[in-house]
Amino acid sequence: MSILTMEKVTKSFGNQKILDGIDLSIPKGSVYGFIGMNGAGKTTTMKLILGLEEMTEGKIRINGEAVTFGNTKTNHHTGYLPDVPDFYGFMTAREYLKLCGQITGISKKVLSVKIQEMIQKVGLEDNKKQIRTYSRGMKQRLGAAQALLNEPKLLICDEPTSALDPSGRREFLDLIASLKGDITILFSTHILDDVERICDQVCILHKSKIVADGMLKELKSRYTSPQIEIQVDQESESFLVTILNQLIEEQKVQSYLKENDAYVLSYTGNYTELASRLFDQCKTSSFVPTLFRKVEPSLERIFLEVTK
Amino acid sequence: MRDIVIFTKKEWLEAWRTKKLLLILTVFVFFGILSPLIAILTPEILKSSLGDGVQISLPEPTSVDSWVQFYKNLTQIGIYLLAIFFSSSVNGEVKSGSLINLVTKGLSRSAIITSKFIMILLLSVAAILLSFGVTAAYTSVYFTDNASPHIFLALIPFLVFILYFSSIIILGSTLFKSGYLSLLFSLLMIGLMYLMNIVESVRAYNPIMLIGENVSILEGITELSEMNWAIVVSLFLSAACFFISIKVMDRKKL
Repeated sequence: MSILTMEKVTKSFGNQKILDGIDLSIPKGSVYGFIGMNGAGKTTTMKLILGLEEMTEGKIRINGEAVTFGNTKTNHHTGYLPDVPDFYGFMTAREYLKLCGQITGISKKVLSVKIQEMIQKVGLEDNKKQIRTYSRGMKQRLGAAQALLNEPKLLICDEPTSALDPSGRREFLDLIASLKGDITILFSTHILDDVERICDQVCILHKSKIVADGMLKELKSRYTSPQIEIQVDQESESFLVTILNQLIEEQKVQSYLKENDAYVLSYTGNYTELASRLFDQCKTSSFVPTLFRKVEPSLERIFLEVTK
Repeated sequence: MRDIVIFTKKEWLEAWRTKKLLLILTVFVFFGILSPLIAILTPEILKSSLGDGVQISLPEPTSVDSWVQFYKNLTQIGIYLLAIFFSSSVNGEVKSGSLINLVTKGLSRSAIITSKFIMILLLSVAAILLSFGVTAAYTSVYFTDNASPHIFLALIPFLVFILYFSSIIILGSTLFKSGYLSLLFSLLMIGLMYLMNIVESVRAYNPIMLIGENVSILEGITELSEMNWAIVVSLFLSAACFFISIKVMDRKKL
């Protein structure tokens, strides 16, 4: 069952197509990474989902209800955390959350308890400090609190970690990870490490189209082959190249390339078999690798592969 | 309706905490104090500026002079200050992105416009009434004549004009992205009304008439009923500006 579906969604600004026939389906309960380079159309997609921008063509549904431009009713199912959330600096965190809670229609009695919960959950202090005195990280926490206040079915995060320092980023990702399962999260970013850390499904937006979409594990096996990184002394390099060429001829190795001082080879067969063969060959040629490691397929490799 | 109440409370808190309310009221109280004072001091200032060598006889100032000064201050400075105060009312929030969180929580866009309009109108009327009260109090102390019998009646058309002007400010602030452009829009609208006043057949319907005949009504020379058409046109245009603002806001990218 999908919480969000996009069917042939197109968005143009003048003659420029920002999104071109996007089809997307986000299953309930997933943490969905929405990846793309800067300017790929991620924020535009988020704004279309929230009814803040008008689609040129296509349909978007949240929990079965159609999204409309302007005052869309589907926003009752969503929580939104923009990349740079802007708040009323003259308010305290509690006052701001009260304003948000009142708009969503949470009853007065429940709201007071809920605000207390949210403030604690995101690690803010319930004091009289006005928001204008908050740091960037504190504002992002408040943004998360307001987005989660109405217990949304779908939480939309638009590059939420892009302006945070490393510790703020880690804390924020921990918070998002703690929500896994309770709500569906659409997590837009260009920081691939963040996606690998918390997302179980991924889609990659490139040149107005979705170029890869699916479970992270599936994408890794679909778009990347396993790799081994091997490094030897300079005088032994020619021996290694001979060995690698021989393995290519035997179709044990697909290809190899030199990255910095190491050789990265792609293969399809069994790792143990190939590794022991390589060690045997090295032993026969009387040299020992200074570095030998299995390289796990990464999202970065998938991204580079599909956006070539 | 619920959204309007919630957002108007936010607007009120903003006016209070950002000292906007205090600033507006202080400026208009200053006008209130200044008007009768200038009426009293003008003959003295004139005499002293002309020197002892020149003999002129100036009539004794009356309460009418105080009210002339009051309406002059409001029409020549006051309404423009209101335009400056509120020109970024809508576009300022659109630009900063502060509305995104609230709209995505379900706040209706029409409630934003309605609340902002209510707040502009409330603050403007409060400032003018306060200024009026201060002028009335000082005038009654300084001048004991009966030359100004209809001070309340004279204020009515001015307040109707403020309603209309508030709707112009809200429209300009919704239509244009920058505060300067929306301010320019309000000023151009005032200029246009003054320009239209040249055509005699239009005068009776022109909203600008509502801020031009106040002293005459106050003295009993002009009847309030002579303003009826201008009041009707102003109310109609206010409603039109308000609804256009809502329509524009509904289609606005946030």
